[in-house]
Amino acid sequence: MMQRTSDKKWFDELVMELRLRQVHGSAIGDTVASAKELLGDTGQAAAEAFGPARDYAAALELPAAPGHDWVRQALWPSLLGLLAFLLFNQAVAAWTQQEVLLVSPAQLALLATPVVLVALLPLYLDAVVRRIWVGIAITAICAVAGVLSAVVAPTQASDAWLAIDPSPWLIGTAVVMVALSVRNTVRSSRAADDDEIIDPLSGTTAGTGAGARILVHVTNWLFPVLALAMLGLALALR
Amino acid sequence: MSTSTPDVRATDGVDWPSDWLRATLGFLALRALSFGPSYGYAIISELERHGFGAIKGGTLYPLLTRYEAAGLLTTEWRAGDGGPGRKYFALTEQGRAELTRLSADWRRFVESSVHYLDPDRPAKEISP
Repeated sequence: MMQRTSDKKWFDELVMELRLRQVHGSAIGDTVASAKELLGDTGQAAAEAFGPARDYAAALELPAAPGHDWVRQALWPSLLGLLAFLLFNQAVAAWTQQEVLLVSPAQLALLATPVVLVALLPLYLDAVVRRIWVGIAITAICAVAGVLSAVVAPTQASDAWLAIDPSPWLIGTAVVMVALSVRNTVRSSRAADDDEIIDPLSGTTAGTGAGARILVHVTNWLFPVLALAMLGLALALR
Repeated sequence: MSTSTPDVRATDGVDWPSDWLRATLGFLALRALSFGPSYGYAIISELERHGFGAIKGGTLYPLLTRYEAAGLLTTEWRAGDGGPGRKYFALTEQGRAELTRLSADWRRFVESSVHYLDPDRPAKEISP
């Protein structure tokens, strides 16, 4: 069946709404397939047959994974990776210039801003997904906090709250980033993952093409790759 | 799906109050499945043929999903003959028992309603 553009948008919204409700991939695949089956039989548009995707997803009341599952499996590792990446960036400049790492309270508070915003993501995830300006605002706050943390970074030991050797921090955060990337790579290569949307008839998963696989690996290794780029930049500017 | 009772009424333009359909669609859908396993469009067509109007997928599927979760139905995907696959719903023993119970309750409710609404009934019977 040829899928209309409006139907494609409706199905994208349906999958997103079911994802937000932590519905298992197999149940999402079943819901999508049965909706397509009916549309194929009736010739109706998806919104006409099922109403708004958000309301339909809510009405189905499909069993969902416990709310804290994705926090434990995805959010905490991402948060740890982000924290390691931010600390690596602080340490790398000092390390390449063979100086001690100087830290001020204001700088630490600004560095903590993106970490706190990500940690609180479960509270406002729906708003980020449904309203693009919320996501833009959060990203802008993180970017401004990053720039300001560089501005307020102490240049002299007398202004600093802490003066520490950057080497252990550099190595430690690099190890944490690589370990998290290896863990994520192993997790995403496992076959029976509840995240995968599985077609109930063929048992195949959607979005497992070469492009999607590459994207998953790029995401898994994002922090180590960015950290390597920062190291290269710091060495070039030395 | 096997065919049901032959007394099919013409139902063009049927527009029952949505509250009535909300109250009855559950056991009507169970009844549609009492003739054998069936799929979404066939259930909708069956109900439409019997005078209940065109039920939307957005109304029927959430109901069937809840019934499956409650153990009244089982589901099975079957490959189509050259067409798309279909999700078949089938009554379980528990679903059949629920249909019997709800049908009996509904018949008693309808009898009471019809009796009460009878315009020929003496007025004093209605007064408290």
